[in-house]
Amino acid sequence: MATLKVNNRALEVDSRPDRTLADVLRNDLGLIGVRVSCSEGECGSCTVLVDGEPHTSCLMLVNQAEGHEITTIEGIGTTDDLHPIQQAFVEEQGFQCAFCTPGFILSAKAFLAENPNPTADEAAVAMSGNICRCGAYPYIVRSVLNAAEKLRNEAGTQAAE
Amino acid sequence: MGKMERKFSVVGKGAHVKDAREKVTGSLKYAVDMKLQNMAYGKILRCPHPHAKIAKIDTSKAEALPGVLGVLTHEDVPQNDWESAWFNYRGKVLDGIGRFVGDDMAAVAAQTEQIAERALELIEVEYEILPHVLDMEEARKGDAPQIRCEGNERDPYEVKWGDVAKGESEADVTVECDISYESQQYAPLGRNACLAEWMGDKVTLWTSSQTPSELRDGVHEALGIPLSKIRVMALPCGSSFGQWWSNNFMIVTVLLAKKIRQAVKIELSNEECMGTVKRRHLERTRGKMGCTRDGEITVAEIDHIIDNGGYGFKDDVGFFCVDMWGKARNGHYAVHAINTNLLTAGCMRGVGDCTLGASVERLADRLAEKVGMDPVDFRIKNQIVAGDELRMQHSRDNMKGDRDAYIASIPPHLRKDWPELFHLSAGGTRAILEKGAEAFRWKQRWRGWATPNRIDGPKRHGVGVGTGAHVCGVEFEGSSSSMVRINPDGSAKVHCAVGRQGQGSETTQSQVAAEELGLSLDQIEIETGDTDSCPWNHGSLASSTMYRTGWATRAAANDARRQLLEIASREFFDGVDIDELEITDGEVHPKGEPRSNRRFTFAQVLNELRSETLGQTSSITGRPAVPMPPSTTFARQFGAQFAEVEVDIETGQIKLLDFVAVQDSGTVVNPQVLKNQVIGGAICGAGFAIYEHLVFDEETGAIKNANLLDYKLLRCADFPHQAQVLFEEAPDPVGPFGARGAGESPIAAGISAVAQAVHNATGVWVDMPMTPERVIRALAQAH
Repeated sequence: MATLKVNNRALEVDSRPDRTLADVLRNDLGLIGVRVSCSEGECGSCTVLVDGEPHTSCLMLVNQAEGHEITTIEGIGTTDDLHPIQQAFVEEQGFQCAFCTPGFILSAKAFLAENPNPTADEAAVAMSGNICRCGAYPYIVRSVLNAAEKLRNEAGTQAAE
Repeated sequence: MGKMERKFSVVGKGAHVKDAREKVTGSLKYAVDMKLQNMAYGKILRCPHPHAKIAKIDTSKAEALPGVLGVLTHEDVPQNDWESAWFNYRGKVLDGIGRFVGDDMAAVAAQTEQIAERALELIEVEYEILPHVLDMEEARKGDAPQIRCEGNERDPYEVKWGDVAKGESEADVTVECDISYESQQYAPLGRNACLAEWMGDKVTLWTSSQTPSELRDGVHEALGIPLSKIRVMALPCGSSFGQWWSNNFMIVTVLLAKKIRQAVKIELSNEECMGTVKRRHLERTRGKMGCTRDGEITVAEIDHIIDNGGYGFKDDVGFFCVDMWGKARNGHYAVHAINTNLLTAGCMRGVGDCTLGASVERLADRLAEKVGMDPVDFRIKNQIVAGDELRMQHSRDNMKGDRDAYIASIPPHLRKDWPELFHLSAGGTRAILEKGAEAFRWKQRWRGWATPNRIDGPKRHGVGVGTGAHVCGVEFEGSSSSMVRINPDGSAKVHCAVGRQGQGSETTQSQVAAEELGLSLDQIEIETGDTDSCPWNHGSLASSTMYRTGWATRAAANDARRQLLEIASREFFDGVDIDELEITDGEVHPKGEPRSNRRFTFAQVLNELRSETLGQTSSITGRPAVPMPPSTTFARQFGAQFAEVEVDIETGQIKLLDFVAVQDSGTVVNPQVLKNQVIGGAICGAGFAIYEHLVFDEETGAIKNANLLDYKLLRCADFPHQAQVLFEEAPDPVGPFGARGAGESPIAAGISAVAQAVHNATGVWVDMPMTPERVIRALAQAH
């Protein structure tokens, strides 16, 4: 067993060496927003934040995650209290089937932390580590720009206070 | 073009999709997320040969492995044929014969997935190798190995019109083509799983499916048990596009659960999703087209072959692709469908459009080029408009006999609303081409055939236009129904088994019901997956969800509305004719007086029903009084797209720079849902045009790139994010509120626009997918 810090909680998990982080998050902790598709780090649907950096959790062993802060989609907002990035994806409908959406939103969160005022081209490149087979790409770019604005406004309001 | 009077309150509004919050928080449950307390894990043994028969199978070692709960082989399986919708699968669940590398042969249930995987290796199979055939033209020959008991070739779908010899003699210019495209893979993001549990003699399946009713029918056919003993709970799909209908692995799961008397879940890996379920057809199109000097098509002759792989049984792919060129005065086309020992081929989004349709577009482009005519003008001159005759095989089974028999089969009260039979109901490509050409500034940007509009060192820019059409409502094995219930609290619930493939039909069907009932969208709940509570539905396929199911949902809502108004009239309005009443914002009031003091909420009306009929249900259930006409193939959706590309003639790389997509799906029910469908289609079409293709092993047909690493998909920065989507809304005379279908025409238009743009940039026609290697090869050949 090991202690894993997930969404600001310390949790006890089975840490046998053959277990991936995605497997433990989904199957032991019930965090189904960690979507697994390709299992080879290509599609990005299992993206989680490790100390704020996006990682494909299908390629990370649970042992490698020990001692780090893990954030999944469940850790950033809920249906009755959406994170501004989630709200932006709702407004722009930056998805269709949404299997890839949690991964895109977490990639966007890491990107906007680094670049709070991106151009559309920068956003498009930053979102190219994830695949959306439904092809919502132009609306994903709009979602990221909309989210950037929301986050800047939020930061501005906080600074003013 | 007539504009319908627009006075909608919910239809046409850009409401957020109903499940948006679940989608962005990751709480939406797909089949892979389902678990039961007592659940075992299943895995499928796959055929290592392209064509082989099990001579001997010994499962004893596998069964002896600790943790194994049972093994299912063909000897345990009822030898009944079952069919998936549109003949995407026809065969037995397991019959001891493998018809492609990766075919389902047996299955294991175990305590964990890992044990099940180990057990697969312990099953000892002795195969009798059968001769195989991978090439569809080889498979047509008399001495070819036979893959199916029905033979390798289906009856051709053939239509002739006019006088071909006369058309040829009238042509001033003629071109011929011989085109083959590769096979595109659904390449789903998101896997699928099936969880099956038997309670007594009734089985429940949880799986991601677009076609819950068809899946229940499939289990019924395969097992021979009554429909009432089967409950399908269809869950949302990851990107499906026709992949997740009723699939053989789902029925394997049902039988495995029955055998071990315990719930079982089979989850397919990404490689199984891409290598063992289905894919788009391979195709070959040989055609000839001729026109007069001023660009009027006088003759079109098209011979089209597709491969069905091992279990596909389709024969009618794409009739709508040819009749799109409705002004062609004489012609003939035939579709031949052939089985091979390759992975089963089925209906992937834009079936027909991306094989036959894209070939006919290229044929027409070559003709336009030869006669020296602008491709936009050439299309406007030759493509179909409302009222033009459609070139369908009139004697098809699903057309219920010949034209007269067909007319006789339509309920008399519907005939009067119906456009002239066998003629296009509404729309066409003219308006969308004109609108798109203006938005794209086509006349300024197009410099002539095979002429780049910009040269920058080795980089050549070119522009192109493409068009696509798809049927909106062909019926298959029944008439889709829908049920609308008004609840005691005044809300309503729609029950229509269209599944949830992500495009937003749960929202658009709810909008149709809300509009008809005079409720707001948030007062509508919807069930799309449970076959025990929904009437039979064709499912969300063939671009028919809005047209057919929307028609049924509107009719059901109308029936519920009528019942509600009858009660209201009796109880509150002195028995006036219900036509004297209206509903606004969920309140019944005298016609034209929404602010009247005499207005009553649905809940008040239903409360009267409750007190009067003690002991009876106090809700109202509405259903369509009659089915939709038996084969509503006369409505089409149309897409016209314009693209600019950059081709590097040294590296062969293609970049997509600009895109304008115009869509005619009749009345737009939800603009953002439709925009997403159109852009998603354009991107899938662009992927088909420049990247996507399965690689088959030359000897065995095994797929070499059944994974997302080797099968390349477009990513966010590969498609212009400033792409525009515009609508043209020619209302349909029958579709709900004038709406038609949407999902499939955009992919076809995208393919042709990109292909033509590459030609205009480089001066050569490149085979698709236009990978860098093929671009370089085509350029080298030209010099």
